[in-house]
Parts: sequence; C-alpha cells; structure tokens
Amino acid sequence: MMSNVRQVSSRRSFVLMGSGALAGLLMAGYSLFTARGTSTLVVPPEDVALVNQQPISRSDYLQQLQTLYGVDLRHATVTQRRKVLDDMIREELFVQRGKELDVASTDPDVRAAMVNSVEMEIAADAVTSQPSETQLRAYFALHHARYASEGIMTLRDYVFPPSESSAAAAAAEALRSGAPTPALLARSQAEEFYFAAKIHLGEPLFEAARNLPDGGVSAPIAGADAIHVLYMLKNKKPVPFDFAAARDQVLTDYLHDAISHLRTGDESFLRKRANVLIADDVR
Amino acid sequence: MRITLLLAASACIMAAVLVHLSQVEGRLLRADPDAIPTNAALMAFARGRGEALFVAHCAACHGIQGQGAPGRGIPILSDSDWLYGTGLVSDIEQVIKYGIRSYHPKTWNLAIMPAYATAEPSARDSQIPSLSPGNIRDLVEFLIHEQGRSADSAAADRGADLFAGAGGCYDCHALDGKGDSAIGAPNLTDRITLYGDGSRESLSMSIAYGRHGMCPAWVTRISPAGIREVAVFVYSLSHPG
Repeated sequence: MMSNVRQVSSRRSFVLMGSGALAGLLMAGYSLFTARGTSTLVVPPEDVALVNQQPISRSDYLQQLQTLYGVDLRHATVTQRRKVLDDMIREELFVQRGKELDVASTDPDVRAAMVNSVEMEIAADAVTSQPSETQLRAYFALHHARYASEGIMTLRDYVFPPSESSAAAAAAEALRSGAPTPALLARSQAEEFYFAAKIHLGEPLFEAARNLPDGGVSAPIAGADAIHVLYMLKNKKPVPFDFAAARDQVLTDYLHDAISHLRTGDESFLRKRANVLIADDVR
Repeated sequence: MRITLLLAASACIMAAVLVHLSQVEGRLLRADPDAIPTNAALMAFARGRGEALFVAHCAACHGIQGQGAPGRGIPILSDSDWLYGTGLVSDIEQVIKYGIRSYHPKTWNLAIMPAYATAEPSARDSQIPSLSPGNIRDLVEFLIHEQGRSADSAAADRGADLFAGAGGCYDCHALDGKGDSAIGAPNLTDRITLYGDGSRESLSMSIAYGRHGMCPAWVTRISPAGIREVAVFVYSLSHPG
C-alpha cells in the first residue's frame, strides 16, 4: 500500500530532511576532498605527488621517464622511478621557493619567461576556438589580395657604363625589334621568384621589370653606377589562390589576428586594472 | 513511508554509481596508458565517455568518425598512419593535452615546413635557403620518384642532391625521406598526403609555401580523465573490435 503523499507525516518529514542533510553532507565532503586546489591528504589519480598541495602530473612524470630513460612505467626500475620523481619534486620545491623569494622581480630571465608564458597562454586560448569554414571564407574574402602565388620571372639585365647612354638606347631598340643583339654585357638571370629578383635587381629595377610582358624590353634605366636595359624572357605574374589553395594560410593568418586581438585586449585589461604611477620627470 | 524509502534508496544508488564511476576513473588515470587497450573493462568505460568528448571538441575538424579531411591538412585518425608518435594511447594523449603548434609551452612544435618560395623560408632557422622555381620542380620530381611514380630522372637526381644537401630537407624528413614521427615530419616516400592530392602541383605548393597545421591544447579545458578517455577513443578508431 502506498502512503498518501498529501497526508501530513512528521516522521516522513524528518526522514526526508535527514536524507537531504545526509546527501548534502556527502556531496560537500566529496567536493571538499576532491576539488582542485583543496587541501587534501589524498593524491588525485591524475597526479603522482602533491608538493605543498601543488600537483605533479602523472602524465608529465610518465613523459619524463620516457624522455630520460626511454621506458614506460611498466619497464622502469624502482631507481629510475625514484630519480624522476625526486627530480620533479625538487623542481617544484625550487619553483615554490622562487615564488616566495619573488625572483621575478630581480631575474631578467624569469621575467622574460613569465612574459613569454603569459603571451603563449593568451595565444593558446585563441587557437582553442577554431574558426568555422564560414568565418574562414569571410576572412579570405576580406583579405583575398594577400593570397596569391609568388610571381616567377626570367630576365636579362643588360648593363652599360653611365657614359654610354646612346649605346643603351640602341640596344633597347635592337632588342625590341628582335634584331640580333651585339655582344652586350648582360647579366643573364635564371628563372627566379619575384622576391629573389627584387633582391638581385633592387627595388627600382624590379618595379620596372615586374610589369614587362614576355619579350618586353624596358627603356634604359639609369642606376647609381650603370645604365640598365631589362629584357623579359618570361614573366609569370602572381596568380590569386582560390580558397581551397589558400585555406591553410588563411587559417594561420586568422588565428594570428585572433591572437593579436586577444593580446591587445588582455594588455588593455591589465593596464585598466593596474595602479601605475609614473614619476613626474619621465611623463 | 515507502516513497521516503524509495527516495533514500535512489539517493544511495546514485551515490554508489558516482563512487563507482569515480573509482573506475581513478583506475583509468592510474593505469599505464599503453596498457589500457589490454583491459577490456577500462577500454569500454573510456571509449564510451571519450566519444562524447571527441564529438564535442574534436569532431568539428576531425569528423565524427575521425575521418579527417585528407588534402586539407586534417589527418585521418582511423588509419594506422601517425604523423606524431606511433599511435600509442600515451602519444595520442600528449597531442590532445598540449596540441600541435598550439602555443602551449609543451606543445609539439619542432618541425615547421619552410616556405621555400619566400625570402625567409623559416622564421626560426635563417640557415634554410630560399629555392628557385627550378629547384622546387626538381624536388617534386625526386619525391614523385621516391613514391615509385613515373618521374623525370635527371630532375629527380638534381632533386635528390637538393634534398640531401642545400635544401636541408633531410634534416626533418631524414635522408631516406621516411620522416620522423618524433617531430611530426611526414614520410614522403609513401603516397599518403596530408595536404593536396599528391599531384605535382600540390607537392609544389607545400614546398613553395610551407605547411604548419595546428591542433589546440586541451589541457586546461578538458579534465585529465576526459583527455585520457578521448585518447582511448581515438586509439579505438584505428583499433576497432
């Protein structure tokens, strides 16, 4: 027979209250002894030790065994296990002592490592949120000019002494008309990417060369120490990539932008909440 | 009274279940990760829970069945070809924890494919030289030849010299081109390609513009038990049954 739940029963109330209290106590007790950061005498299963309540990760311990001795836990000797654990405990103790001594305030290496570490953490946060394909495509559409193949050119650079401007003009004309060129002093260049041509030719000559069509000849260009006539054998201009070809780079750029944005935001937040006083003479 | 007893019994059962789960989770975490596949009970426990986490966190890129996106740089997780490590649960767990080029200090970030068609192919190593279009064509022919496909032998010979010499390719991919899973350098002699379709054009793209896939670090976002469960699930994708 089921009891009538609408009927008042002081006994039931007490039992329910007791059950609730017991459940609450159990949950509180469980949380108290298992939550991260709480003081406990039990080493959590994911760790191999607690040093002043700071965990030493089991996975890091196994990794260290593997790195130092090339063995897994099953094959490690007691001495190897003890050595690795002792080293890790020692490191943790020294890190804790370092915090107590505030070594970051005096040691530039520690300061640099901390700055780097915080920047890396911000970046790691940013890359955890992987963008959707739609977001990537939108980013690609916005910056599509960035994504193109590197141009390739095969060019001859005819060089004349500064005093021989008429010879340079004549050579340019001869090249244009397809007449056999006399034995000119030519820096014959092999096929190369635009970036390499830019380095070899220098900015002004490269700018003149990049727009020449196949078989095109430039007007004589006066340089600092010579006159140049450029003859383009083959010019393969940069070809824009489609999204599929550029996707890898788009993802990288998207994440770099996200990281940069997040870092700026974090720095701004840190500055906002900080109390920074600046001496009058350096304001 | 019976309702009260029912409630109390339910609470006890729930508590017992929670304690049991917590104990199994503890066993899972304390176990040698590479020995877990030999323990059917732990495998069953971890695989089920790991699948849910995998779907929530990893499937967006790797696909629900770990099928990846061949050609787009997202590896297949259900085959036996491992770019990082050898496919042991411990290897997979490390990747899930710290990611690939994830910016976590412990991430896997030793090998980055240089972009040889740029003035500075590698931001890290200034000794790596740029290559000319002809160099890249020669290298492509060498790779095609190494894969047992029909290639221009003269170009392949020049490519071999570049591979083992000035190009510096051997440094990551090893002199025999079989790669190094300790740093995530792929085997170039098989026909498994992570980017593109293995054509000359896609190989050329990889050499010219570089590759640097990325996997986030989950160490701060998924619990240690969850990470191990996902690792076991991923392991099970390539070891069904």
